Amino acid sequence: MNTLVIGFLIGGVFGAILYMGGASSYRRILGTLLLKDMWIIKLMCTAIGVGTLGIYLLDLGGLANLSIKPAYLGGVALGGIVFGIGWAVSGYCPGTCVVGAAEGKFDAVFTVLGGLVGAFLFALAFPVLDAMVLQPLNFGAVTLQDLIGINAVYLAIPFSLLMLAMAFFVLKDRYE
Amino acid sequence: MRENEAIISWKVAGLALGLLLTLATFLVKPLGVSTQFVVTDAIAVHAVAPEAAESNTYLSKYGSKDDWGVGYGWMLVAGMFAGGLITSRLLRAKQPQADKGSMPPMWTAVFGASRGKRFAAAFVGGVLLLFGARLAGGCTSGHMISGMSQLALSSFVFGLFTFGSAIAAAHLLYRKRG
Repeated sequence: MNTLVIGFLIGGVFGAILYMGGASSYRRILGTLLLKDMWIIKLMCTAIGVGTLGIYLLDLGGLANLSIKPAYLGGVALGGIVFGIGWAVSGYCPGTCVVGAAEGKFDAVFTVLGGLVGAFLFALAFPVLDAMVLQPLNFGAVTLQDLIGINAVYLAIPFSLLMLAMAFFVLKDRYE
Repeated sequence: MRENEAIISWKVAGLALGLLLTLATFLVKPLGVSTQFVVTDAIAVHAVAPEAAESNTYLSKYGSKDDWGVGYGWMLVAGMFAGGLITSRLLRAKQPQADKGSMPPMWTAVFGASRGKRFAAAFVGGVLLLFGARLAGGCTSGHMISGMSQLALSSFVFGLFTFGSAIAAAHLLYRKRG
């Protein structure tokens, strides 16, 4: 099958999961960030737990098309801080605002438009940021197993179990 | 706040998302969204002012070559819109009331009922989201879910700084409520 069609179908299921799982909901996102309603973080930990196991089982058979992002730590840390503020202010992330817009939420439409502007501003600032923030402290496409120097599965299995334990046993909702 | 859960539980959604990520990694590559905002910009700028697009070192990477432009990643985001559209039309009655609409009750309780204020915040938030995501090289899907699942160092660093910053910002916004 054509990769464009595969992309569209995978995206369709992705969007449906985010909508049905309440991930495009403002109160869920802010509830998680205020450390009261752990729904979103439990959803993410479950996805990461299952995904880690799935991906490294595929990798054992040489079937995983991995895509490890480079660790240019200055850009990743600074970008994470800016992203976090935008996440708390809008109540969406780049994926959930697309789903929220599809639901007909106007605030999500404004987040999508803001996102297009933000990405454009980044493109304009790229030459300066590349030299100042991205190139220094760039350690390349490093994984934790590279750092520790063990076979990936021995790390993937305990990490996966840790994520699932966080979701099912550790994280608890707090209400006043 | 607890009155309704969601159409599917976080357990079902998390399991489905983990399996979908595995399938995507098997078929093509892991999930990611934020790059496609640049691709969309690049397609628009290439259409309107091709010379300006080519002269920008970042935009020139996207929107012109075969594999970029409307590729797997862009179709994935288009699919997300379609998936959200179809399921929200079919299942609207099952969605908790508190999750509906453009004015979240939680927001209006603290910041008032002004639509302009909410939409301005959503817009500014969007600017910061995508500027930050492009600086970091990914977002919640590409960095946190796909990246951590591949045990990438950069994604753990991103997760740490993002959650730290977002938790602090949310507490600052809602400090009146304690």
